[in-house]
Amino acid sequence: MLWVDKYRPKTLDKVIVHDQVAQNLKKLVAEQDCPHLLFYGPSGSGKKTLIMALIKQMFGAGAEKVKMENKTWKIDTGSRTIEIELAMLSSAHHVEMNPSDAGFQDRYVVQEVIKEMAKNRPIDAKGKRAFKVLVLNEVDKLSREAQHSLRRTMEKYSASCRLILCCNSSSKVTEAVRSRCLNVRVNAPSEDQIIQVLEFIGKKENLQLPFGFAARIAAQSNRNLRRAILFFETCKVQQYPFTSNQVAPPLDWEQYVSEIAADIMKEQSPKRLYAVRQKLYELLVNCIPPESILKKLLAELLKKLDSDLKHEICHWAAHYEHKMRLGSKAIFHLEAFVAKFMSIYKEFLVSTFG
Amino acid sequence: MDMPDPEELEWMESHGLLPEEEEEYAYFDDPDDEGSLPAAGAGDQPRVAPQETTAAPAKPAVEVLEGNLKRPPPPPPPEQEEERSKRRNVDREDSGDEDWLRYSTPLVVEVVAEKAISRFAIEIRGECIPVTAPNGERVYAKVATDGLDGGGIGGTRERTRVSKPNFDHNGLLSESFHSLTSRAEQEALAKALQESTETQNFESCPVTPLVTEQLWVEKYSPNSFTELLSDEHTNREVLLWLKQWDSCVFGSHIRATSDDVLSSLRRHSSTIQKNSSNRNFFSKSKGGPVTSQDNMLQNAHGSNSEDLTSSFNKRSSTDNAPEQKVLLLCGPPGLGKTTLAHVAAKHCGYHVVEINASDDRSASSIEPKILDVIQMNSIMSDSKPKCLVIDEIDGALGDGKGVVEVILKMINAEKNNSSNSSTSAEDTQVRKSSRKGHKIPKLMRPVICICNDLYAPALRQLRQVAKVHMFVQPTISRVVNRLKYICKKEGFKTSPIALSALAEYTECDIRSCLNTLQFLNKKREALNISGFDSQVIGRKDMSKSILDVWKQVLQKKRLKRIEKADSNFSRDKDINSLFSLISNRGDYDVTMDGIHENFLKLSYHDPMLQKTVKCLDVLGVSDSLMQYVYRTQQMSLHVYQPPVAITISQLVAQVEKPNIEWPKALQRCRTMLLEKKDKLKTWQNQMSPLISRHLSVESFVEDIASPFFHIISPSSLRPVALNLLSEREKDELVQLVDTMVSYSITYRNTKLEPQERISGSMVSPDVLSLSLDPPINDIINFKGYQSEHIGISLAMKQVLVHEVEKHKIIKDSAGKLLNQANEGGKRNEVSTSEKTSALVTTKGFSKINPTTLKMQLSSASSMSGKDPAKKYSNHGINFFDRFRKERPVVAKTRNDAGQQVATTLRDSRPLIFKYNEGFTNAVKRPVKVRDLLL
Repeated sequence: MLWVDKYRPKTLDKVIVHDQVAQNLKKLVAEQDCPHLLFYGPSGSGKKTLIMALIKQMFGAGAEKVKMENKTWKIDTGSRTIEIELAMLSSAHHVEMNPSDAGFQDRYVVQEVIKEMAKNRPIDAKGKRAFKVLVLNEVDKLSREAQHSLRRTMEKYSASCRLILCCNSSSKVTEAVRSRCLNVRVNAPSEDQIIQVLEFIGKKENLQLPFGFAARIAAQSNRNLRRAILFFETCKVQQYPFTSNQVAPPLDWEQYVSEIAADIMKEQSPKRLYAVRQKLYELLVNCIPPESILKKLLAELLKKLDSDLKHEICHWAAHYEHKMRLGSKAIFHLEAFVAKFMSIYKEFLVSTFG
Repeated sequence: MDMPDPEELEWMESHGLLPEEEEEYAYFDDPDDEGSLPAAGAGDQPRVAPQETTAAPAKPAVEVLEGNLKRPPPPPPPEQEEERSKRRNVDREDSGDEDWLRYSTPLVVEVVAEKAISRFAIEIRGECIPVTAPNGERVYAKVATDGLDGGGIGGTRERTRVSKPNFDHNGLLSESFHSLTSRAEQEALAKALQESTETQNFESCPVTPLVTEQLWVEKYSPNSFTELLSDEHTNREVLLWLKQWDSCVFGSHIRATSDDVLSSLRRHSSTIQKNSSNRNFFSKSKGGPVTSQDNMLQNAHGSNSEDLTSSFNKRSSTDNAPEQKVLLLCGPPGLGKTTLAHVAAKHCGYHVVEINASDDRSASSIEPKILDVIQMNSIMSDSKPKCLVIDEIDGALGDGKGVVEVILKMINAEKNNSSNSSTSAEDTQVRKSSRKGHKIPKLMRPVICICNDLYAPALRQLRQVAKVHMFVQPTISRVVNRLKYICKKEGFKTSPIALSALAEYTECDIRSCLNTLQFLNKKREALNISGFDSQVIGRKDMSKSILDVWKQVLQKKRLKRIEKADSNFSRDKDINSLFSLISNRGDYDVTMDGIHENFLKLSYHDPMLQKTVKCLDVLGVSDSLMQYVYRTQQMSLHVYQPPVAITISQLVAQVEKPNIEWPKALQRCRTMLLEKKDKLKTWQNQMSPLISRHLSVESFVEDIASPFFHIISPSSLRPVALNLLSEREKDELVQLVDTMVSYSITYRNTKLEPQERISGSMVSPDVLSLSLDPPINDIINFKGYQSEHIGISLAMKQVLVHEVEKHKIIKDSAGKLLNQANEGGKRNEVSTSEKTSALVTTKGFSKINPTTLKMQLSSASSMSGKDPAKKYSNHGINFFDRFRKERPVVAKTRNDAGQQVATTLRDSRPLIFKYNEGFTNAVKRPVKVRDLLL
């Protein structure tokens, strides 16, 4: 097991990073009831960990016995029958699923599947909890329609069911859904917190951490706890005892993006743009989300850019990311950003150096 | 004089029935002039005075002669027509009074009618010549001598003779045929003028009233091969192909076209081809699409005709059908594909059976029909063999497919048959082939398929086996000539300029031209050059192939000199045509993809990349729009898609020909993305849910993948025997194996990829390499990127494979143990001991107790000594490999582990070690022969 999984806190008490949040959550469920919850925060900050710990807090060890099942739902929409296959993780007390997996049919998942499960009251009410918990991941990827149908479900079946929603950005969750939940912000851990975690793991693993090593990894991880722990383990595997200036190898895709950035800086022409396009395709094919590509690309470009241009470039990056969300062909917009950058940069070069 | 050629007769027929008129006149006017004579037909006039024999036979003869001498094969040259019409006009002016006209003609003819024309040669004294009238009537005419000539000739005749004294055939003619024809024309004119007298009109000119009912397209459709309007070369190729069936279809050599005919045909077509290539070169100056099409055609032709000649040469000795059994004619509508197929088939003596889109064309209903055609000979008609013409084969997708399937099945049956059994030449002959019954029948008759879009998906397979002919537009002058001819015939006044403009406008679609003309004629409007758009000219609802659309968008039309003057106007026109082109195509998604894929390859001038930015921006707009439309289902918004393409076209279109590629990249990207996501998902499903719940695809790819591969390929692990590892190393190994198991990863044999084989020079080719299973390491393989991951050595991988395998077994059995509780009792030794050992080892893992770990390791390695027999036989690694790791293991059990461990081992393991001091490591274990055979 990777350290990421091995040292994942199982209970709310053991949480290191968001201990304050954890304590509040514990108090929240100490009473018999709890509201709907919406966890949001950047990836690698510990949302899922908190949720799992919370569920364990609610239901005890019984919630840990989970099984994975792929269920096919047949949904009658009046004119035709749609079949949706959905993977879900369920225990006696809760169900986890990712409704946005259904793509544009997510509406039906929310309307039918979730409603179906929400309706079913758990039979043995003699336990302490008279409700079931539904964990929905990646709510921000749900379509607007699905979110709209979600809000009715939340109200109607609140007696028998609690929803725990989990997403990266609360801005993509509609106001209506947000207002029905207790919002829990799980922010990215600070570097100090990451160092704390790394030192904790180091102690458990009986490792000698040279001074500044943890800090370096924390800095490299970009405030992503998961990444930090993985980097830490990588370093350990590659070389132990640690040397004073050891760093973890960079992520491959980020490395590739920085290569692209270098390409862009070197030459600005339609021909080069075409070459860049091929590389972007390569990244997209390997499941790298286009938003991450754009963000990373921007970061790489900004590193090498004259400060006069930074503001403008950021503006355009935001512009094209917005467009990308509106459309479906990410490559068009990524490429448009690259072209825009090339255009601005070249103009800048010409005006500065003649 | 022999019977005239059918085509000449035909021509005569269409040129207004002069001889008949004359005869009729004779019938009618006889009584008037010579009251004593009974009004008898021309046929029974035996009583004719010999002196007067001259003029009468001249009448038909003149016509025939004229046909032979003056008239080139149809369509007749316009000059003659014009000349004639001029003459007619002149005549009209001259002869103001119809009375004279009516009077003069009968006068001559009357004289004529008295002479020696007879249905029976005997009835004519002296020499006579047979003459066949266009209606098939055959009469004999007396040949006049000069001496006899003089007597009964009227004044008119003398006059004409004086006027044309040098005429050669005056032996036969009492009068120059010029004057005769002119008079005949006058008559025709007179009749046309006398439209009030219906009976006469109907009798004399039966064609005119039909005009109103019959479409010009049908009326003037070519009936013979030489009349075809389509490209000469194509015509000949088709004919050549049909001719190659001769030996097969007609069986006997008698009718088979001899080789030299074929070769001359071929030679001719090749020269034509050269010519046409020249022509293409010239036509390049006119619009782009034509040129490119021509080029394509050129290529197709080049290869095809070569293929054909070679294949034919090979097979000409054996009586066989041509290599390609199906001819696929394709081209835009209205160029005469169907006509060509019909005419060519008729020309080669086939009875044409046509199946077109109006018929039921599902595979089941079409099959018997085709069988009919290819196997049976009609007893009804002239027992000509049949030729199948399948029109609009690309038409309806579902239906068209049925036909294609049936045909393909037959072709394939043929191939299989000829390949696996030595079919004699006779077997391939049609009549014998009907002996089968159970077999799929072979294709023994020519099949001509006609389509508009060669690249329709339904035709994909057919395209490979068929001989493909692209139709090119005929030259405008050719079309115009024909149109002129027809207009003349119909008495519709047009100017050649207007006609050529029309032809150009309809892209030489002769059908559309004719329909337009007929329509205008009916409306009694003149063809107006300027107002094509406003006029009711049927614009074809052209949906061009998507490649053409891209080409049009990305290629600027070269402006002609005239258009340059008002470039604004032509720009407008361009935009309009592009708009209709794109919206007719409709498939905006793919259209935009194609533009996106290809526009960067154009060499447009864009130093600051502003054009590029603009292009990508509008593409982005199009994408957003598309998404919006799909989400809200407001399809009407699609109307804003074509302007996007037009904008790009205006920005980047270049004059030179773009190299259009199908937008594979985006589609490939989509499918690969799905594939990879799927792969990762299935992989996640294999893991225990406790881990996979925290592992979304995104987080794995973004954060975990790279470190993960570093972690599972540690550099510190040495590929040595387990017992040589230090404590810490063992610890690491255990942890690694645990990680691999919990993430359900292992290594698997794969064939070396060629490139790896080149790079790994040390590796002998028969050694297989081990790669990750599932192959998730693909995820970090970017093209043109060298990752820093160091692979672990093969030996290490093998160790890991064993460890992982074993670990899994242990885990499984541990799970079983938990499930089954301790039911104990009747368990055999093997399973119980395994269970206990499993328990021990799992405990060991959880505690990470060094001693149990050591034991576990050793037990593991000893177990791996058990496995190999099975495992290695599966993997096919060479024999000595298996000892590499086992020998140390055994050595370890002896030396290292010590007595204590050994005994516990022996107790816990199901294996019996028979250890003979010194050299052997034999393991006794019951093995089934079956296992060895694997």
